[in-house]
Amino acid sequence: MSVICPILRGSFEDYRRDALPAPQRRMLREHLAACPECRNLAAAQDPAMLFARPFATEEVPEVDAKRILANVRTAVAFAETERRIGKSSRRKFASVAAAAAVFGALLLMAPRGGDRGVETAAVRPTPAAANGATAALQPVALATGTAEVEGVSTDATVYEWSPGAGREEPRVVWIVDRGLDI
Amino acid sequence: MELVYSQSRDRQVSAELPDRDLAIRARGGEMVAFETLVTRKTTAVVSLARRIVGNTEDARDVAQMVFLRVWNEIHRYDEKYSFNTWLYRIATNLSIDFLRSSRSRERAHGATLHIVREREESSASDATRNAEDAELARLFETVSSRLSEKQKAAFVLREMQDCETKEIAEILGCGESTVRNHLFNARRILRKEIGRLFPEFLRGRPLA
Repeated sequence: MSVICPILRGSFEDYRRDALPAPQRRMLREHLAACPECRNLAAAQDPAMLFARPFATEEVPEVDAKRILANVRTAVAFAETERRIGKSSRRKFASVAAAAAVFGALLLMAPRGGDRGVETAAVRPTPAAANGATAALQPVALATGTAEVEGVSTDATVYEWSPGAGREEPRVVWIVDRGLDI
Repeated sequence: MELVYSQSRDRQVSAELPDRDLAIRARGGEMVAFETLVTRKTTAVVSLARRIVGNTEDARDVAQMVFLRVWNEIHRYDEKYSFNTWLYRIATNLSIDFLRSSRSRERAHGATLHIVREREESSASDATRNAEDAELARLFETVSSRLSEKQKAAFVLREMQDCETKEIAEILGCGESTVRNHLFNARRILRKEIGRLFPEFLRGRPLA
């Protein structure tokens, strides 16, 4: 028994009530780990005091630590790939939505009167420039049907819109592929 | 060749950085910094998880989940706070979730048998461990099955990880008074369980 034992024994109750400041708590824990007499006395008062001591950290064998790191590395790579795929799907959806919005806006901008329906035709219609400005402002379907593109069957319609009727304005061509599963 | 050299140089630099700096680098997407953190914290996380979930094998599974969660949530890490507290919070929550799962409940029923078997077999690694610590850890695993998950986590963080009440409150996401309640109730239940299962400790039985 050392001179510090009686002093620390007086603080058991405060320890149990969680009323000891951190430095005293650590000092008591260190002491209980080193002094069997105090530890037995504390355990006799309250067996839960058996755990009032600094526990050595249990080392993880190197081979297990390496395995954990390898598994984490794989899981992170998998999560990152999933994240990238998710992003690209979102990007694809956003671009299709933007294209649809542009298409809608173009339809609204087209002048009233005449047949405003989008025709589908297997044969390319008369060039816009030859039909005058009104015809040139309507989008027309150039072709529709099922085609084989690089071994993949597509069900698409190709539209054309020539706002400048053959003048400097560029011709707009877009493809609506109904085979896309969005 | 330059890439290999550069990566090994990065690892050397990372090994010398404090946890907080590594976490900041990992937040910026630096994988080397993240892996250094994993290597550095594996022992602490496995140790904490083992005391909550009750066995080493599950603790290693939990540790892997913890580090994956760290990577996924690293953008939320605020360097104003201690990285350890943040890490322990994730580790404790995942350990509690694991303990709550039906699988782990089934294992908890067999925990006593597992501990007795482990004691009898007394593997070579036990020989290198502090015998008293090992005996107390086994005793805790046996008597702590009556504790609620939060009581167990609070007790482990206080007595075995030596965390402050405030830190435990941050880790468990509750108030300090709640932590004190958990600790008070955990001690009460442990006292009762030790008295019931191991009365010799009440008479001051010497440890191993």
